[in-house]
Order: sequence, then C-alpha cells, then structure tokens
Amino acid sequence: MAIEISNRLGLANVKSDFIHTAGRKLEDIHERLLELEAKGEVKVIHVKEENKAIEAETLLGWKKKIPTNKLWHHKSCGQCGNIPGYPVSLLWFMNQMGLEYVDERNQTSCTAWNYHGSGTSNPVGLAAVAVRNWHRAYELGLFPLFHCATTFGDYKEMRNLLVENKELRDEVRRIMHKIGRELVIPEYIVHYSEWVHVMRFEIAKLKKYDLSSVIATVHPACHTYKMIPEDCIYDKDIYAGKRTAVSTGVMLALGAQVADYSTWYDCCGFGFRHILTEREASRSFVMDRKIRPMVREANSDVCITQDTGCTTTLDKNQWIGKAMGYTEQVPVMSDVMFAALACGADVFKIVQLQWHTTDWRPLCEKIGIDWKKSEEEYNAYLEELKAGGKTVNLYEYPKS
Amino acid sequence: MEYDENGVSIVPAELKKDIFEEARKDFRYEEYVRGCLNCGVCTGGCPPHRFFDFSPRIVLQKMKSKDPELIWTMMDEYVWACFQCFTCAMICPFLNSPGGVIAILREIAVRRGFESAKKVLKPYSRVLLKLTAYGNQLSPDMIQPDFFPDWGPHIGYASTDLAVKRKAIPMPTLQVTNLAWDVAPETMKELYDIFDEAGVFKIIESVDPSLYEIIQDIVDDVRSS
Repeated sequence: MAIEISNRLGLANVKSDFIHTAGRKLEDIHERLLELEAKGEVKVIHVKEENKAIEAETLLGWKKKIPTNKLWHHKSCGQCGNIPGYPVSLLWFMNQMGLEYVDERNQTSCTAWNYHGSGTSNPVGLAAVAVRNWHRAYELGLFPLFHCATTFGDYKEMRNLLVENKELRDEVRRIMHKIGRELVIPEYIVHYSEWVHVMRFEIAKLKKYDLSSVIATVHPACHTYKMIPEDCIYDKDIYAGKRTAVSTGVMLALGAQVADYSTWYDCCGFGFRHILTEREASRSFVMDRKIRPMVREANSDVCITQDTGCTTTLDKNQWIGKAMGYTEQVPVMSDVMFAALACGADVFKIVQLQWHTTDWRPLCEKIGIDWKKSEEEYNAYLEELKAGGKTVNLYEYPKS
Repeated sequence: MEYDENGVSIVPAELKKDIFEEARKDFRYEEYVRGCLNCGVCTGGCPPHRFFDFSPRIVLQKMKSKDPELIWTMMDEYVWACFQCFTCAMICPFLNSPGGVIAILREIAVRRGFESAKKVLKPYSRVLLKLTAYGNQLSPDMIQPDFFPDWGPHIGYASTDLAVKRKAIPMPTLQVTNLAWDVAPETMKELYDIFDEAGVFKIIESVDPSLYEIIQDIVDDVRSS
C-alpha cells in the first residue's frame, strides 16, 4: 500500500504498511510471564472470553488483548479529587454499552506519584503495592483497568522487574503472604485510553453531534507511551504507525479533525515534581511548548489528553500566562471526556467541566451543546442535594 | 554542601565511593546503563534540558566514567532537574535509561536523608501524608486558592459548597472531600504492612522525621480501629 494522505492538517490519518520497529529487538515479556506461570512461580490474571477482548498491535507488531468487559477500575489518585469528570465519563460509557465493572474502596494509589514517589519508595514497596492491587482484581474475578498514565508506566515496569528478578518476586511474595494475598501478575497491563481506543467505533455509534468543524490537538502522556514503549498501541492507519494511536484514534472515529503541531512529542511541563516546586518551569513549558504551538500552528479548538497530570497542568496554567502576554487559550480535556460530550453526556453532571479552569464554553457552543441548560439543571440538582435529596449514581454501592 | 577554594565539595572520599557503589549495585543498573555512543539524542529530546542545566547524556557519561567524584556532583540539585518523563529511554538507540539512573540516584539521596532531598520534598508534605497514611493523594479540599493563586480565580470553585458538589458526582467512591476517593480502613492497613515490610516508612522518617510522626499517629489510629 502506498502512503495515503487525506488530512490537510497533518499526519493523524496517514496510512502506511510500514512496521515500526525502531531498531528494537526486545524479548516479549508476555512470553516469559507465561513460562513463569507454567513453572508455578506466579499466578497470572488471564484475559478470559467473558472479558470480550479486542486485539490491538503494539509498537513492535506484537498483539495485545484489551479486555472490554468485567473490569476492575483502578482509579487515579491525582484525578479523582481534581478532574472527577474523567473517571465518571469512562464509567458512563460502560453503562451505555451495558458492560460490567466494579469501582470500590478496596484500592490504593500505585504510590508512584512524581514517578517512584520522588525517591520516597523503593522497588520492593512499589512492586508490592502493584501486586496488592492486582490481586484484589484477581480475587473478584475481574481484569484491572488502570486510569492513570503514571500507574500504567509504573505497573508495566513493576511487571517487567518481577518477571526478570527472582529475588524481587520472592520478597514481594513474602509480603503478600503477610497480608493474606498471592503473587499475581496481569497478562497485560491495560490503560483506560487503550480501552477507549479499541472501543472507538462502538463509541462513535453513540455520537450525537457533527464534529467535522472541530480541530483537536492531541497531547500524548509521557508515562503512557515513552515508558516500556514496546507495550503501547500503534496502528498503521494512524500517523502511519509512527506515533502511538491512542486518543487520536477515537477523535478520528468521532469525525473530528486532528491537527498536527511541532511540539507533539514534548511533555506537558508537569515535570513530575516541578508543578509544585518549580512552577515557573511548568508554566513556561505549558505556554511556550504546548498551548501556543497548538493554537498558532493548528488553530486548535480543544487539547485532548490521556492522563491526569497533563490535563491538570495544561488546563490550570493558561490563566497566569495572560500576565506575560500569552493570549492563546484552548480548553483541555481527556479523550474519554470529549467523547462523552460528543455522545450527549451531560456537561455538568457527567463530564463535570465546571471544575476546569480554561474556558470550555466556546467549544461546547461550536459543537452545538446547550451548556447553559445543563448548568441550570445542575444548580437545581445541587439545591436538591442540599435539601437532603439522594445522588443519582452510575452504579449501586455497595452491591448487595 | 560545602566547597573548598577550587570548588570541590568537602565530603569524605569514602562517602562518595559508597554512593557510587550503591548506585552500581542496584539490581536495575545493568538494565539502565548499557553502551553509550555519546550521540546526544537523549539530550536533544529531553524536555527539562530546555529549561535547566540538565543533560541525560551527561548522566550516562558520568555513570560510565566510574569516577565517584563525578557521580557525587549530580547528587544534589542535578538529579532533581529531571522530569522523569523517560523521553531519553524511549529514543536512546542503545536502550539506555538515563531517567532510570536518575530514579536510582534520587532513591539514594532520599534514603540517606540528604539536605537537598529534604528541601525538594518539603512542599510535598501534604501529598506524602495523604499517600502514606491514606493510600491516596490529591484530595478535593487541597485545591484551594491560597495554595494555587496562579491557577486563576476559578480555582475557588472548590472552596464553596465542596461537600455537596462532591456528593453530586455519580460515583459513590468519590463523594468525599478529604480524600480523592474513600479508601477502606482494611485497605489502608494492608498498605501499612507493605510499607513496614518494604522499609518505606523508614525512608519517610529519614527525609522528614516530623511528618513521619504525624503519619505514625494516623497509622496507629487506623490500625486500632
């Protein structure tokens, strides 16, 4: 197949039959994991038929099964307090599609915040926390789905370290026995954006608005695709297989235009500690390396993210930029939040854009969403709750 | 850190050698440091290199030099400039991971209670507290204008009627204000056991003894509940 270019704005839907090997010759950790299982060294959380997996291709052309049903939600400790519409939008889609899942209190953070807790943990602690959470999904008979990119990167790293190091396995196994659990490792470490990616055509069937005039710029998360890159989804029909396909894939499936910009590969500026301790660096990075190129080069209507820290950094740091003459502004939301908006989810009750700082109302108006009506209904709902009314939840909890 | 008239740090050579050996003996070291062609691709793509005196190529070269003095020069501010984004690891033709080396050096700096590590981690006391004592991190009630004045006036949205706004979120686990989600006490107890066994509490104690005391009070309360 010859290279086919149909998107005047950039590379997003360039197709190619080129296989992206990037010169890497790596051992498939998945095979080694199954060998350890055969020797009785570890238990494996397998993708079962009831998980209704959809297969995707990774950077090196390996197959990765993405389970779509009977999932255990591993929430993000930076996301739930700050961007509640992020997990809500994901669960909302699963309800729309009649899929089964569990969201519960019996989960901890991966504790890898700022990556490896800025040195405040160690490989044994990080691996034991990972296995503890994996085991919780295992005992419920569910497959874990990780919401956070840092968790995704950390858990991929911990899985690899556990597979490669007997001493680490022995130590983690000892700790697991102490807390009444076992050493289990998922067959695949799966990020929510991979679920969104493989479900993108099902998501597109729910679309309520014409998005052909919306120009999106995608910011991929470092901890999603730069860590253990051989385990990330690439697609020969998206960026010609040269960049990770997640997030861009769902935007194209929804019919939005995905525009390229020169700093696509740059991080968001969060810095994994700098957002609190070197804030000027984060702010400058956001405006100079991300928002300004997105607006000036691509005339972007929306910045699409796939992680907690990126969404926070890119959204919150635009306001202060005005003080230094940065007039460019673009609303920021994750792929699943944008998809939920496009599929008719309520702006306030589900997508929860009211918590965001950069103005998202012009985007809603461009799409044709009546956000004012949604705001009125939400405010009335808050009054009902204040008067003792009950919350309308996405699921029953605890299940009887 | 103190320096002599030639700008050399006044630290016993034995300590520098210990740190060097500690880094090289880490079981991840061989995975992170392979051959280096000095091509500089890692530094060319490194986001913090644009804003700080930091280069992943230099990190790799110093580690390969086998000179403890060179490693020592990175142990204070230098290692904390890295974003831990792992761009370097993704693009290195030799599959080195300078970001991984930085993670090892940071762990050593924190474990040994270096003043530079204490200074860097001080603003993270609240995060460390939530994470270690509750298994959680950024809670809704932490997002207040006095902590984030540069995030604009809308940040005050979380300051009013927070409890009812959280109650309106249609996920029961999220309907709390002091945690990102409501973690069950039994779950916290498992986390404490992991931190005890893995030596994580000891690490916190070495880098912030007063925070450690606060955490232990909470841990004791939860364990006795």
